[in-house]
Amino acid sequence: MTDIPFKNPGWAGNTGEYDLTEEQVRGLDFVGVRPLEGAHAAGSASYPFMLAEKAPEAPLFEGGYQERFEKILSRYPNSRAALLPALNLAQEIRGHISPETMDRVAELLDLSGAYVRGVATFYTMYNKRPVGRYLIQVCTNISCNLCGAEDVLEAFLKYTDTEVGETSSDGSFTTIEAECLAGCGYPTCVQINSRYFENVTPQEVPKILKVLKNEGAAAPSSADEGGDG
Amino acid sequence: MGYPYSHEKEVPILSKYFGDPEARTLDGWKARGGYQALKKALEMTPEQVIDTVKDSGLRGRGGAGFPTGLKWSFMPKDKTKAHYLLCNADESEPGTFKDRELLRWVPHLLIEGCAIAAYAMGAEHIYIYCRGEFFEATQVLGRAVEDAYEDGILGEDAMGSGQKIDLTVHVGAGAYICGEETGLMSSLEGRRGEPRVKPPFPAAVGAFGMPTTINNVETLCAVPPIIENGGEWYRQWGTEKSPGTKLFCVSGHVNRPGNYELPLGFPLKDLIHDVCGGIPEGRALKAVIPGGSSVPLLSAEECETCALSYEGVVEAGSMLGCASVIVMDESTDIVHQVMRMASFYAHESCGQCTPCREGTAWVTKILRRIEDGRGTEEDLDTLIELTDQMTGTTICVLSDSVSPPVQSSIAKFKDEYLALIRRGERMGVT
Amino acid sequence: MADNGQSPDSVSLTIDGNEITVPQGTTLLQAAQGMGTEVPHYCYHPGLSSPAMCRLCLVEVEGAPKLLPSCTTTVAPDQVVHTSSEKAHRMRTGVLEFYLVNHPLDCPICDQSGECELQDYVFEEGREHGRGREPKRVFGRDDFGGDVLFYGDRCVMCTRCVRFLNEMENNPLLSVVERGNRSVIDTFFDSGLEDAEWAGNVVDICPVGALVSKDFLHKARAWDLDHTPSICHSCSQGCNIDLHTRDNLVHRMKPRHNHSVNGHWICDYGRGRYESLNRGDRLDAPVVRDGGHTTAMGWNEALEAVVDRLEGTDGGVKAVVSPSWSNEDLGGVANFVAALGGGDVFYRSAKGEEAPLPGFEGLARREDLAPNTRGAELLGFERVGDAAGSGGLERLADHKGVILVLGDSLPDAPEDFGAAAKAVIYLGAHTSAALGSASFSLPVTTFAEQEGTFTNHDGRVQRFWPALDAPGASRPAWLILGATVAALKGGDGPRSADQAFQLLGQRVAAYEGITYEDVNHSGAVINETVTVTGD
Repeated sequence: MTDIPFKNPGWAGNTGEYDLTEEQVRGLDFVGVRPLEGAHAAGSASYPFMLAEKAPEAPLFEGGYQERFEKILSRYPNSRAALLPALNLAQEIRGHISPETMDRVAELLDLSGAYVRGVATFYTMYNKRPVGRYLIQVCTNISCNLCGAEDVLEAFLKYTDTEVGETSSDGSFTTIEAECLAGCGYPTCVQINSRYFENVTPQEVPKILKVLKNEGAAAPSSADEGGDG
Repeated sequence: MGYPYSHEKEVPILSKYFGDPEARTLDGWKARGGYQALKKALEMTPEQVIDTVKDSGLRGRGGAGFPTGLKWSFMPKDKTKAHYLLCNADESEPGTFKDRELLRWVPHLLIEGCAIAAYAMGAEHIYIYCRGEFFEATQVLGRAVEDAYEDGILGEDAMGSGQKIDLTVHVGAGAYICGEETGLMSSLEGRRGEPRVKPPFPAAVGAFGMPTTINNVETLCAVPPIIENGGEWYRQWGTEKSPGTKLFCVSGHVNRPGNYELPLGFPLKDLIHDVCGGIPEGRALKAVIPGGSSVPLLSAEECETCALSYEGVVEAGSMLGCASVIVMDESTDIVHQVMRMASFYAHESCGQCTPCREGTAWVTKILRRIEDGRGTEEDLDTLIELTDQMTGTTICVLSDSVSPPVQSSIAKFKDEYLALIRRGERMGVT
Repeated sequence: MADNGQSPDSVSLTIDGNEITVPQGTTLLQAAQGMGTEVPHYCYHPGLSSPAMCRLCLVEVEGAPKLLPSCTTTVAPDQVVHTSSEKAHRMRTGVLEFYLVNHPLDCPICDQSGECELQDYVFEEGREHGRGREPKRVFGRDDFGGDVLFYGDRCVMCTRCVRFLNEMENNPLLSVVERGNRSVIDTFFDSGLEDAEWAGNVVDICPVGALVSKDFLHKARAWDLDHTPSICHSCSQGCNIDLHTRDNLVHRMKPRHNHSVNGHWICDYGRGRYESLNRGDRLDAPVVRDGGHTTAMGWNEALEAVVDRLEGTDGGVKAVVSPSWSNEDLGGVANFVAALGGGDVFYRSAKGEEAPLPGFEGLARREDLAPNTRGAELLGFERVGDAAGSGGLERLADHKGVILVLGDSLPDAPEDFGAAAKAVIYLGAHTSAALGSASFSLPVTTFAEQEGTFTNHDGRVQRFWPALDAPGASRPAWLILGATVAALKGGDGPRSADQAFQLLGQRVAAYEGITYEDVNHSGAVINETVTVTGD
């Protein structure tokens, strides 16, 4: 494939037109730490994270998560409509949607297991099997493709020593292709767990991986609690 | 203004506060004149609000371009059943990234627009369906919604008017087809996001069986300025048939990709060469997709005379869609890009209708084989016939969307296909 | 479907050049069907919802910009519809091509061959040559549990099976899994259809060979089978069925549509009991036991011997009948008992748990696990025995008069059953250990080998027709009993099942005035609700 035809710094830099820190752009200063139990019920469904720390055996739902689940339930006229937010929550806790998780969510919402399986397998974001600590989703759709997305994908695969969809041997990284992430102005757009990395070039890939590996290290992945870098 | 680059030719109405972190907060928004439009709307009658939007000529910004005021007037007059307003923030069209910016920079503008629309249509429930990948945007939006509730702007007694306006942020889970309005309703109801047959139309039988209207984020964000300044004011930009401004998402081979808010009717060549700073390293333009991956490609000559309005792009041989301009220069491998678009559709097809389910995958396989150098000239005829068979025969238009890129690229860039077929050569690769 | 056009809710429109009038709300597909035109379709089924997703039923409607799905588009006044215009035909050819691109070439090994809607439609309108050069996607074979086997490659994703279990059985055990061309029908992982009582119907409604019956797998070719309309013999619901036979064996049972009784459905229990019609342990020829001699003989001789033995009997007849025998046969027993001066007739029937199909009102596998308990009740027979269909025989085991047994092979009878009787007459289909020393063993036909009627729990008389040849020398019980009574008392016995049924109408007010023509293929309800004796 081609070399990247140009360089447009974004989030590995700044255009110079705005004097903003990453916290400000990402809204971390405005949004702050989100409570587990969700604040107002109207926004409770909007905080499911893809966490690095996953607990596949955790109960559904307990404590703060149970409160949030009940708030979510109260926003819909029937329990079936809460299925997607419930699965999002379950995935936040457990990391992926296993058959047992589908069964448990079906129980909570009075649906059949086969029905929940049908819904869960329809949507791309529900992981049907465990993934690494960091799920790296590289957009290779047309806008990013024109700007070298496939080279970025190759770089991630090379530096994590995996095939597409495979988890690295130390369980840290799984790399997959994603469809358009709506970050086309910042090619190549990569989503790692909950966070967008924009303007990624193959040269930056080892740096990104290193930062992710060193937990809690400085920018670009400073995380709020309950959030993820 | 545009983000991350701005240009003097822009007309910043929706994008005025892009890049301004203060505008996201409730106080910051109020200080910038926010929620005046909602206050004004609540003092008008719902019919007056709808008439104002009709006067402005605002057209749906999600790709279909259907007149918004007219769409709102389809909601039944009889308000005994619960009415719903759904905001389509499931932005997944390749090349489109305006809704994400609107959500994360001016969430209160969206909330205000939703509230005005809900009031106009007698809808007490609003759901903003955000795509699951938008973690950052939904957090910003969710926080803004919470602040609005706390301040009494939303809730049982919106701004003290006695109207109930209830808003919920609903997060999706990764499916392009949920951006289709009936697919969105199915997904909201907790089902597989499979589109439904129309009729019955959403305004009659929609989400949960109730009258529903679905609008795009940008459409709803345009409503507060229209209410505040009047319908005629909005018409000072744009053309007769396409009034107002539009957020153009420019991506691909340009020096300054990003969102730019320009009046409709803006010349495409100026957008590329002036506003976006032209093509890197002075390369030549090869093709442009003016409206997201579902519209025909325009060749470089056709771009010279293309005006970016709904009717102008149709005249040039394509469609405006959601105004996502994807610029391709001479280094582009057209066949590879078309194959990538076809594989996108194959991946995102919901699988209900057989022409789409089988056809998208088949078209992708043929294109892959052509790319591999094992194609034949019959394959080109097959591709055209298959995409014709997929057009007009399905419940939704995802299947129809495969036809424009495939057929227009075969028509306008046939030599690229033939090079691969006859000699196994890729054109355009440096 | 079409009515006389006089109601204000009628719509007149033109389909394929024919002007018709149908009730408002009729879909174009139904209107065409009423005219005799079948528009090809998969996902539509008259007993289920219409999602309009198979895209095969699209028709051309003048004035509409696109082709419209006829299964959901309702009629509008003065519409002009073309189901087979050039445009519609081309569209169908195109859609069929998409169905075939991933469909395996399984016809030689697929059970559905010969009754496959894909074969039929492609033969009519498909392309002559396929042009798919790419490898087909493969899903493989999946055991769904119960009797259902799933061949994923053949599936056309009409989702009739999913919707049947959702809407009819109210038990969503199947769903579409994955998305796009990776989508496939599946159960919830390892659990399947084992516990669903009506799951076998998904095999019937599957238009292709994706869902097949394990019991029927590779047993017979569809075109070799003869279809005979009949009534299911496994409970008192009286579901209408077709028996599919070949080489004088029943190979399977399929539902026959009856909107008053069972819609398009039958339960798995009944479906599986077709095998009881193939039993080999049949009585062959009339056998007379006299003194120490056991002699097989022809019917004339045998009946002479019976009449001889019965001479002088006046009352005191005790009979036990099986409620799996027809109204005509049971009526023959009633006549016989009356002709001999009277007596008691008993019947036994096993009982099970009711298993309703929630989506169809009035349809369930009934508690009474025999088809004609209502018929027996209406004749005044007394129910004895327990819920397993055993017991109650002490009422006649030591009887000194005439004992008649019809159909019930008395598997639980005491060893000395009928030892004291003047005569034990066994009209049976199957050999019986308990009646091995009966005075007369006369072979009779089962319901599958004769014409007749059953009366279901709801009082509906329904006809069945003979699907198998009567084995050996067996004859219908009504014929034998009628001939015996005629020999004893003079006159003529009934010569046809129709006549036997008319005789019944003279005895039982509930049947009075009802003819076979009235009953025909969809049944006729009896005249009144009769209070029943016995259980």
